[in-house]
Amino acid sequence: MDVSQAKQEHLLALKVMRLTKPTLFTNLPVTCEDRDLPGDLFDQLMREDPSTIKGAEALMLGEMLTLPQNFGNIFLGETFSSYISVHNDSIQVVKDILVKADLQTSSQRLNLSASNSAVAELQPESCIDDVIHHEVKEIGTHILVCAVSYTTQYGEKLYFRKFFKFQVLKPLDVKTKFYNAETDEVFLEAQIQNITTSPMFMEKVSLEPSMMYNVTELNTVAGGDEGESTFGKMSYLQPMDTRQYLYCLKPKPEYAEKAGVIKGVTVIGKLDIVWKTNLGERGRLQTSQLQRMAPGYGDIRLSLEMIPDTVNLEEPFDIICKITNCSERTMDLELEMMNTRSIHWCGVSGRQLGKLSPGAFLSLPLILLSSVQGLQSISGLRLTDTFLKRTYEYDDIAQVCVVCPYTNNEC
Amino acid sequence: MRITCISVSAVRSSKMDSEEAPAQRPVSLEITVEDVTTEAPGPDPPKLTISQTPPRENLLPQVESIDLGGEFSTPQEDSSATPSESLMDKLNDQMMESVLISDSPNNSEEDDDVAPMDSFLDAVEEEEDHFHETSVDKEEQSEIGQNTTEIEVTVEEQEKDSSVEKVDEETREQTLDTEEQVISCVSLQVDEHSPSDPNSGEPSLLEAQETKVFSVPVCTIFSHGTHPKSLVPDGFQPTLIKSPSFSMGSGVETSEAVTPSKLMAPLVCQPSPSLSKFFNDNGHVNPASDFFDSFTVPSSFISVSNPNADIPPGATPASIAPTPEHQLSSTSSSISNPGGALDSGAPTPSSVFAPSESTAKAQPPPSQEAPAQAPAPAPQPQPFNTLQAVFSGSDDPFATALSLSEVDRRHDSWLPSGETRKVLISVASQQYSPAYVETTRLTMPGLKFDNLQGDAVKDLMLRFLGEAAAMKRQVLTANSVEQSFTGLKRLISSKNWRAAVDLTGRLLTAHGQGYGKAGQQSSHTTDSLQLWFVRLSLLTKLNLFQNAELEIEPFGNLDQPDLFYEYYPTVYPGRRGSMVPFSMRLLHAELPQYLAKPQEALDRLHNLKTVCLAILENLEKGLAEDGSMITLTQENRQGSLKLWRSRLSRVMYSMANCLLLMKDYVLAVETYHSIIQYEPQQRVQLLSGIGRIFLQIGDVKTAERYFQDVEKACQMTGSQPSHTTCVLMNRAFVSLSQNNYTEAHASFTEVLKIDPKNPVANNNAAVCLLYLGCLKESLGQLEGLVQQDPALYLHESVLFNLTTMYELESSRSTQKKQALLEAVACREGDSFNTQCLKLV
Repeated sequence: MDVSQAKQEHLLALKVMRLTKPTLFTNLPVTCEDRDLPGDLFDQLMREDPSTIKGAEALMLGEMLTLPQNFGNIFLGETFSSYISVHNDSIQVVKDILVKADLQTSSQRLNLSASNSAVAELQPESCIDDVIHHEVKEIGTHILVCAVSYTTQYGEKLYFRKFFKFQVLKPLDVKTKFYNAETDEVFLEAQIQNITTSPMFMEKVSLEPSMMYNVTELNTVAGGDEGESTFGKMSYLQPMDTRQYLYCLKPKPEYAEKAGVIKGVTVIGKLDIVWKTNLGERGRLQTSQLQRMAPGYGDIRLSLEMIPDTVNLEEPFDIICKITNCSERTMDLELEMMNTRSIHWCGVSGRQLGKLSPGAFLSLPLILLSSVQGLQSISGLRLTDTFLKRTYEYDDIAQVCVVCPYTNNEC
Repeated sequence: MRITCISVSAVRSSKMDSEEAPAQRPVSLEITVEDVTTEAPGPDPPKLTISQTPPRENLLPQVESIDLGGEFSTPQEDSSATPSESLMDKLNDQMMESVLISDSPNNSEEDDDVAPMDSFLDAVEEEEDHFHETSVDKEEQSEIGQNTTEIEVTVEEQEKDSSVEKVDEETREQTLDTEEQVISCVSLQVDEHSPSDPNSGEPSLLEAQETKVFSVPVCTIFSHGTHPKSLVPDGFQPTLIKSPSFSMGSGVETSEAVTPSKLMAPLVCQPSPSLSKFFNDNGHVNPASDFFDSFTVPSSFISVSNPNADIPPGATPASIAPTPEHQLSSTSSSISNPGGALDSGAPTPSSVFAPSESTAKAQPPPSQEAPAQAPAPAPQPQPFNTLQAVFSGSDDPFATALSLSEVDRRHDSWLPSGETRKVLISVASQQYSPAYVETTRLTMPGLKFDNLQGDAVKDLMLRFLGEAAAMKRQVLTANSVEQSFTGLKRLISSKNWRAAVDLTGRLLTAHGQGYGKAGQQSSHTTDSLQLWFVRLSLLTKLNLFQNAELEIEPFGNLDQPDLFYEYYPTVYPGRRGSMVPFSMRLLHAELPQYLAKPQEALDRLHNLKTVCLAILENLEKGLAEDGSMITLTQENRQGSLKLWRSRLSRVMYSMANCLLLMKDYVLAVETYHSIIQYEPQQRVQLLSGIGRIFLQIGDVKTAERYFQDVEKACQMTGSQPSHTTCVLMNRAFVSLSQNNYTEAHASFTEVLKIDPKNPVANNNAAVCLLYLGCLKESLGQLEGLVQQDPALYLHESVLFNLTTMYELESSRSTQKKQALLEAVACREGDSFNTQCLKLV
């Protein structure tokens, strides 16, 4: 359709402008000294410039607000605001004007108009104004569809639409990593990268734990009364900068008991991120539920309840193992102890530990000695389930430091 | 990890199947995948390895054999994109998903996936998604893809019966819909075939793509669960992010997944938000930027956010009449060549202006009597006159001459590099004549362009208002003023900087440093260097940075021996120090920052700072500025200390400004803060400025802390109206940053009660009104201001706001802009930045 022709036909004009935050005008200070050729001319010009800071003209960042000059970028989690103006360009009064603004995303169509009632009449040179806001919740193409219908003074019904397309981009890249501590604590390390093109002030990055966990944020430096952020005084992220946040999750007591037998995926919680950019332009995102695979204990979990950190060479020492049946069936266990080059087990290998029902555990004191100095790894435990004839091997269970008590005499 | 592979490849094979038979076989396949994987963790950890390796090996070859066509089996797929585009889009979407699935301890594989995709994706900015509902829109999209800003789909005149209206439209949409389908079918085939090239080349890409199609949550979760070692180094999991209020559940959700893709172009030096166009014009503008109707089309007017754009508004064109002081110095000014004996190329004094004068108007400049300077008697005429201007109260020529030399020394002091100093000493001790200094150590500037600067306002008038109107515009030109410093000052103060540039060009030509003279020997005088300084300053003020850089280039680092007075013992006997004014050194240092070389600017500024500090140290140690053992009177020493402290703080300002442009906010804030110790009277302005920097970053809380400091500082100094204004202004900015435009508007209005003529508050209040949805009121306020007080409001930022609102208001914005142009034409000089009128 011929656009120019279309324009002539319509009495109303629809204009749309995205309202990003205004920007502060910056001026360019060029100064000279009294003795220079222009004398105080340059300084005087700068003093007369309304956009300079009086008394500190060399300060570049002024106070004058300027309207956004282009659409800019819009990111997921930010609020899309737009001014919609319908102006009567004609010389006649127009009646029953209905302005409808819809936002079409890849999955849905939303109505953004503040009111859906028609305006009874619009005088020439008058406007209908609307400022719409929408928090952007999807990535990708969005189309703002503005439809205007009205009646001319001759009773003619007219209708036109305009489409404005924009892309919503992803502002952040979030990567997570879990560390499982022996104590059933879980440490979550989250890397948050600013993939926009402007600096971003991280107002809030918090972990909302699921019901099973309590969370401690580890992002402040202990010390002072308030605790300084590990990121320093200025909490902003330059484009493409990445920042690492650390959280410690402890299972709540009522769940802690069961932690030993919890298998599979557990929901840890989600990260809630609030950021701000130019003059407080705000954005907020949450990650999906972070899921963590409980450490793979297999059918039987063997953990250490007690072990010395330093032992003497060739001197027996005690450790206490905890054996938990993580499977769904009862096991009949037999313990084998295999010596390694440095670790020698004391006691009988191949003894029966008896039946262990699902979820049950037993504590097993063992004695061993090391024949080699240094940091030694405790290996060589074998548990065999005699029902299924399945053997579970446990190597590198823990490490002890073996020292020679006679060092002083010998050298 | 390996299980991950299984699921991926299983999906892939099912994908192939679906291509042949679109039945829902994939589902069953998926289930088997699950079986495999649930079994997998079952065995003891030690055995895991054995049981899982085979499937992986089996499956890998399949990767290569996949036909990409299956990818595009959904009829909803966007058809408007070119095959390659849609392929990349697919990748873009799917990569997120695929990463989730292959998210595993074995990061190397993941990296392989990512690398090629990144390179692929770099170019992709626009991502076309399928639209289920709006088939009409689809048609638009295809057009939009070609950068059309706005599409008016159907301008339909309906029957008068309104009940029919809706139905009618429905059917119309449907017909469009069917048309669309046809189009998409056709292009689908294209899609299916063409992407096969990248396919065979990059199996890893495929992997990424395939997985998207089956973005079943099970896969995701499962793959997470399957890697038993969560302590693997670097095993970061990309995490899904979504808007908190977004409802999950549809397949679309996959598109929100996080990808490691770098859609953004590489990081460029990014100045502060409002300066973003400065270094990086059009770096990565959202494709949507050319949308939003004709008026949000990225305007060529960049200077509003642009520090270059510094055109002070409406100074009275009648301008400042030269003060007696000015006249004095101009009469005494010399453009003759003191080193005439050395410089054979220099025109003889009598012919100085002859070549360049074309109009009868031209007056012989008073400076033609200048040769007086060449013989140079001890108290030179020129300094003497300047002196008289400065110390006009004094009636003892000898005493004033003495104090003049004090002032000269104070201002001209500089610490040249060791090598330059050696040359200067040897010249002074008459070991050799300056003529023998190697030419590489000499400064040989010349004009780099000789075209006239013109008058953009007049050009616009010719174009929009016709010749008759254009003829009425009266501005001073280089021809219509005295060909001297006085004329130059008239041009500058009447804001005809382009004409002033032309005039400096003439005067420099007369000095033998005209167009094409660069690289030829010429000698320098105080005046020639001042002319260069003015010229370069004006070029900078006019945002003609490239030109300024070209012309300043022959000056090197301003350290050549011939830029020092000692080099001309006969012309300037006994005078020491730099002929280059300090302001020119500063300009030279600042210039690279406007040309996207902020690091170089910082280097130079640091050098300046070092010299300033060294000179201050010398003064504090009881020495003269340059470290010599001259005894200074207390009064002189204090004068020198004051001057050099102010110079130091000016350098610090430049450094902070440069850091701000670089968006190095930490250092910028630190530097601004450190200026307070040198300029305590600027404490309020500086702290407020720092607060605004924090607002620009988005850190409203810290900004508020600084604004509180401002309020404290204001209370301490007692109530000055300017301080009250400042406090209110800061409050308004905080409200603005909290999205409270009503409150912000109220604060700006409050300022106006105290200071009704405050242009900033007036403008800002109008801007707030627009955000409150009151376009007409906002426009009315700004328009009124511009009409009532054009001297204050014909500023480019105000005009930019005004023209933006005109565009938003009506289709007839051009007429209103032309009216503005007329207003500008009456008042503004040729340096007016016409871009803010957005007429072109």
